[in-house]
Amino acid sequence: MHNTTLPIGPQHPSIKEPMCLRIRLDGNNIENADLRLGYVHRGVEKILEGKQVDSALYVAERICGICEVSHTAAYLSAVESAMNISINDKVKYLRTFLIELERLHSHLMWSGFLAHEIGYETLFMYSWRERERILEIFDKYTGGRVHHNVSKIGSNKYDLPENSKKFIFDRLDAVAKHAEKYRREFEKDNIIKARLENVGVIPEKEAKRYCLVGPIARASGYKVDVRKDNPYFAFDQVDFNVITRNEGDAWARTLVRMDEIQESVNIIKQLINNMPNEKLPKPELHMNASGEAVGHVEAPRGENFYYVKINSGYLERAKIRTPTLNNIIILEKILKGYELGDVPVIVGSLDPCFGCLERIMVAKDKKIEEHDEDSFRKKYCEIQKPEVSYD
Amino acid sequence: MDYIKKSPWICVYNAGSCNGCDLEVLALLNPKYDIERFGCELKASPRHADILLVTGIGSKQNQKRLKLVYEQMASKKKVIAVGSCAISGGPFREGWVFTEPVDRIIPVDMYVPGCPPRPEAIIDALIKVLEELDGDKKDKPKQTRRRSKKAKK
Ligand code: SF4
Repeated sequence: MHNTTLPIGPQHPSIKEPMCLRIRLDGNNIENADLRLGYVHRGVEKILEGKQVDSALYVAERICGICEVSHTAAYLSAVESAMNISINDKVKYLRTFLIELERLHSHLMWSGFLAHEIGYETLFMYSWRERERILEIFDKYTGGRVHHNVSKIGSNKYDLPENSKKFIFDRLDAVAKHAEKYRREFEKDNIIKARLENVGVIPEKEAKRYCLVGPIARASGYKVDVRKDNPYFAFDQVDFNVITRNEGDAWARTLVRMDEIQESVNIIKQLINNMPNEKLPKPELHMNASGEAVGHVEAPRGENFYYVKINSGYLERAKIRTPTLNNIIILEKILKGYELGDVPVIVGSLDPCFGCLERIMVAKDKKIEEHDEDSFRKKYCEIQKPEVSYD
Repeated sequence: MDYIKKSPWICVYNAGSCNGCDLEVLALLNPKYDIERFGCELKASPRHADILLVTGIGSKQNQKRLKLVYEQMASKKKVIAVGSCAISGGPFREGWVFTEPVDRIIPVDMYVPGCPPRPEAIIDALIKVLEELDGDKKDKPKQTRRRSKKAKK
């Protein structure tokens, strides 16, 4: 039998973002795995410290390119409750509308990404075509495809453009129709099922123990959803279901996300139909407010949590807890016992987003150590060098 | 596009970006933008690639790796810095992980500003780099004429 250590990443075909996964193989079976992060760490929390609350919004928006709206919304809800600012219904509806649009684009992007991982390029292209329709809506409303910059503290920059209802509904209908088709493909296709079923199984007990959030927890039968548990913005005024499944494998995670696409389309339609006819308040500068609060929203990947402490208009501390960091911890555990070919599927099904995820810095024994790849490996990794041994 | 002779392959390296630029680069693949029209294909391995797209701030962790990726590419390589992060550090230039912009780490041929740049802008940069890869732009009409004459015969 061969015992091999295989490094995957940080620049690797099956992983689009930098991370370093070192896998100890026994033949084709995974014995052990070791994950190293830190390639996309940008020190965002440190940058936020000492910034004026209005200008810190600009940085908070740029923490992640996929769940940009969720970061903005979580930051805003924390800051607004710290400074006792109440927002009117119109602003609530517009923010909810953006959050749900983002969930659509993220899930469509992810389903295409998973299809690409299992070698189904056609489905990848189809999903990304649908995603473009959502980006068109974003583009029309905000003028940006990825970063939008429309939210302000206590307000929104723009109202929805006039006569945009038909434009939005056309695209949503097309997306809903096609997403239903792709869902059937994921559910019925035997080859896809063979790749996804019983792969990376997370039982409900483990999901609770590891504090998983978002679609991954919901696919294991653990019903957590901030939108229902603690409704924020306009989520208490719309009607929707929280989708759960009990299998807990990669296949269940896929179907949960595909079902959430339909729910999001429904939510957006309700929002647009019931959009209140109020005026947007004028955005102001907030120079004197102080306070301390938390805010959380349900990002496409789970609960996104912010803590802020404001001292006379400037941020003293901002703490960000993103869902993907909670979810990636379980990766090493669920990789064990599967085969090498399952690695892209398992990593993909956890839907890591490294832009959000790089939140940690470890200070060991009260000392901060700076490492590059090699020195870190020498000091801390159980698996030292890529090695091949025959016995 | 009669002057593009080669079909260069592209490799993306995420040197500490927020994923926004990477998403826009990957959006080039989808049916709406479809860079395969120009013979470009996104390749995962830098050894197969002629053009390297770098996104992100080039943080301390990434610098060694970025150099390695650049050195692995076959010669006559081109580098495009995508996004304001890669050009100057963008919104993260105050952070402690940012030391120097990407063009101080590896040579950069083309800059695409924007946060993130739209896919059209990235395609524009790609085509400009393609022209450079193909050699002098002046002798291009001549060559096409010569070729078409041959085809007639
Ligand atoms: S330039 Fe903007 S979109 Fe691109 S990586 Fe930097 S912050 Fe993200």
